[in-house]
Amino acid sequence: MTYFIGALSFILALMLQYGIVSQTPLLAGFADLILLVVASWGLHQRTRYFWVVILVMGAMVGAISAEPMLIPIVVYMAVYLAAIWVRERILQSPLLAMFFIVFMGTLFQHLLYMVSLFISRTAFAWREAIFNILLPSLILNMLLAIPVHALIQELARTSQTKATVI
Amino acid sequence: MKLKFSLRSIRNTIIALVVMGLLFLSVAGYLTPFFNFSTNPIIRTQSWLTERYTAFRDFFNSPKDMATLREQNTLLQSQLAQAQGKVIEQQERLSQIQIVTGLLDFARANPEHSYLAANVIGREVSPYRQYIIIDVGSSQGVTHGMPVVTDKGLVGRIDNVISNAARVELITDANSVVNVRLQNASVEAQVRGSLMGEATLELVPQGTDVQIGDAILTSGLGGNYPPNIFVGQVLAMQSKQNTLFQSGSVQPVVDFAVVSAVMVITNFSQVDIAPLVP
Repeated sequence: MTYFIGALSFILALMLQYGIVSQTPLLAGFADLILLVVASWGLHQRTRYFWVVILVMGAMVGAISAEPMLIPIVVYMAVYLAAIWVRERILQSPLLAMFFIVFMGTLFQHLLYMVSLFISRTAFAWREAIFNILLPSLILNMLLAIPVHALIQELARTSQTKATVI
Repeated sequence: MKLKFSLRSIRNTIIALVVMGLLFLSVAGYLTPFFNFSTNPIIRTQSWLTERYTAFRDFFNSPKDMATLREQNTLLQSQLAQAQGKVIEQQERLSQIQIVTGLLDFARANPEHSYLAANVIGREVSPYRQYIIIDVGSSQGVTHGMPVVTDKGLVGRIDNVISNAARVELITDANSVVNVRLQNASVEAQVRGSLMGEATLELVPQGTDVQIGDAILTSGLGGNYPPNIFVGQVLAMQSKQNTLFQSGSVQPVVDFAVVSAVMVITNFSQVDIAPLVP
């Protein structure tokens, strides 16, 4: 049940990301809904092989995106594993943990994007990238983290309760 | 008996005369003031009575009327909402028709190309790339490198294709380079995208007189785009003394933030000149 609901939420997030979120920028940056959903599921689900869902989702995003295919896979897997690690070892408050994961995950993601641009010798200014893309994206991600966290928390509870009953 | 008859007849005659007299006076209008004087109190009393009765009736019937009015109001509001929904739907259709008409006009004005219309169904997930996703792909004959336009001008070119969708690299992407010519100055240059989704004009020879607002068209050099597609207008120019070329900023003719329908030029194949580059 958790796998099914998880996959469904990722597909919905993917559609929302490409259809709406990517078209509502703040300066030149916009939120990454899929990253938020990955972080939330990492903090709330307890199944063993959920990482497979994350891997498949990362591959799907990598296939659609113009960025190198490996970047979304690496970013989403890293965010997922970091969320599990944080959940088990550091922060007990899920919302604080969510903020922490989203903050670090967004920085990591954008760092990889910039490295990719640098390797492909695309002309860009670091200052422009940081102030017009990275920081607005970070703000939007942090803002959206609250509703996404609440929604995924409920979904995770529902799916895991049903699984327990069955 | 006779006396009795005569008294009765006299009385009847008098009554008849009085009645006739009154009728005559009434018809002649001489009794109107009297009638007015006598009927006014009655009318006033009747009005007072009617007003009180109406107020009394309304007091008891108003809840029912209010309920009826509320029902009617709700009904009218729902009808209004339906009508507004239809208006919005019609406006949406009109907007789509205008877009399609614009695309058709462009296709008629440029009959040398074959076009395939497509809807924009998404935008790139990375904010560092300027790409859109359209709903036609290899099943409809779309291949890598095909130019994409709207009725206004150049959008970009096909970067990647799957069976029913394709990814389009916009001319504002940081990796995009379009060979162009300035219509008024008759010189060739390049329009290059940037990280922020802005387009810049580069490689304009020093000494070339470029005016703000000059039209920029594709030159066809390099084999990436067909010639004479409108790209944009010169927004500003910069000229430094120690450089070989001038540069400037370009206002693309297509507003990429709101573009919802495009056309793929299907009879143009990108020429790969990489093997010829020394």
